[in-house]
Amino acid sequence: MTTEVTESARLYGNTHIVWLTMPPELHSATPGQFVMTYAGENSDPLLGRAFSIARVRTSDAGREFALLFDIVGRGTEWLSRRAPGDAVRVVGPLGRGFEPRERVQRMLLVGGGIGVAPLVWLADRLIEDGREVTLALGGRTAAQIFPAHLLPSDVEIVVATEDGSLGTRGLVTAPFEELLPWCDQAFACGPNPMFEAMHGVVRHSGLRKPVQALVEEQMACGMGICYSCAVFPRRGGVRLVCTDGPMFDLRDLY
Amino acid sequence: MAVDLSLTIGQGSKQELILRNPVMVASGTFSNGLEFAKRFDVDALGALVSKGTTLHPRRGNPQPRTGETASGMINSIGFQNIGVGAVVSEAAPVWSRWQVPVLVNIMGETIAEYGQLAERLDGVRGIAGLEVNISCPNVAAGGMEYGQDPEQAAAVVREVRRHTSLPFTVKVTPSVSDIRPIVVAVQEAGADAITVMNTIPAMAIDIKRRKPVLATTFGGLSGPAIKPVALRMVFLTASVSTVPVLAAGGVSNGTDAIEFFMAGASAVQVGTATFRDPEAAWKVLAGITEWCEQEGVTSLSDIVGAARRKD
Repeated sequence: MTTEVTESARLYGNTHIVWLTMPPELHSATPGQFVMTYAGENSDPLLGRAFSIARVRTSDAGREFALLFDIVGRGTEWLSRRAPGDAVRVVGPLGRGFEPRERVQRMLLVGGGIGVAPLVWLADRLIEDGREVTLALGGRTAAQIFPAHLLPSDVEIVVATEDGSLGTRGLVTAPFEELLPWCDQAFACGPNPMFEAMHGVVRHSGLRKPVQALVEEQMACGMGICYSCAVFPRRGGVRLVCTDGPMFDLRDLY
Repeated sequence: MAVDLSLTIGQGSKQELILRNPVMVASGTFSNGLEFAKRFDVDALGALVSKGTTLHPRRGNPQPRTGETASGMINSIGFQNIGVGAVVSEAAPVWSRWQVPVLVNIMGETIAEYGQLAERLDGVRGIAGLEVNISCPNVAAGGMEYGQDPEQAAAVVREVRRHTSLPFTVKVTPSVSDIRPIVVAVQEAGADAITVMNTIPAMAIDIKRRKPVLATTFGGLSGPAIKPVALRMVFLTASVSTVPVLAAGGVSNGTDAIEFFMAGASAVQVGTATFRDPEAAWKVLAGITEWCEQEGVTSLSDIVGAARRKD
């Protein structure tokens, strides 16, 4: 399906946001689901890029959705240069998103680096639902932290940076450890070492808190046919991030 | 004007494989088709080829398994698959409800395993044929090593022939100095068709990590980047083949397919293109039909090998 860019801007640091018209096929999407986005007209670059839906809004133009991304290569470079009116081909919604439990109140969201992207929309939705939301954000430096003023004002924000330029110095797993006893359910997105560290925190805490991890692995297709994005759960077997995930129970992974 | 696009594999044998059109999906680029069949009309295609199947389930290789390259990609999935038992019990019953024939791509670690695989799949409802993989670059045992030696290749094919009455194609590797002796050997040993070709062994390096992109160092190159290589391989194969040639290697649109037909292929397999566009195979088919209508070609066989004729 083809979408049209409505807005494109550098939002902070090396992180861009692109707003696109939301075709009806995407209206059923939930936070944590993703779209494959195809850069260029021909075969170079060849493969789609998987992006979580970072936010959804309704404007005069109708419903729109946002992709939030760091410029890391040719695909993201291409996408960052799209201007309003430009067409972008996407396929979605794909994968299994976050599944917030019903009748629980305290939601802890943990984002490492650009892993914040799907948590922004999740935070929007949880606040609309009337839940309490704390968002713990981690990054190497302040320039990697999603600006607090762009989040719903009811979201409690905790920041950790490795260089101490914003919030506490260190990894986001430290605030996660502090907040774990408070929360009813936790949701995380970030690099795999962050998930592994979080799993260690949960295990040592002795608390049986449900933590949903939104996993990223290199994808070629996004649709369960190329087998690029395999993860190997602790209990054995192999799962695909694109179709079995990207949301996995943290304790199933490690 | 109707265009006759049909094709028969294993003509005259006990179980002919009739394709309504010459567009197949390549092994490893469609899983086992079960998910796609929910979203797309798979019955409109000529044939599907399953994910490469081994005797026992395999988890495949560690991450990273794929990397993008110029107009292509390298992969080293390492034959992650559910195993032949689950193919028979879980996938084949679904395939049996489809009109489109499904070929199971099989790979053994030993010659005997190829025979065991063929035997397990013989007579199973929903399985229309086999694709014997002697060309996978991403496994430690079996795979490509059998495809690089005419005698070994023929031994695999004879073993499969002994254990099945199903029609089968043999998927060969471009990693040989001359493809023709391999083609001659496998068709004399009983192959009903030849799939040309598998991926090309290749690598990429991540300069940030100062390491190979793939965990296994080497993988197989696919996508539009390899089409010219595949065309030459098909052209060479067609110079000695007496059975249909099924072309695989960078087919992304109708024009690509027509090129392969003119080189001597009777059908094409769409592979990596499906990753970029899930409807790629259907678009290739539409492109072929449109070209034939424009050119007044009423039977595809009229153009097969057209570029080979000297006049």
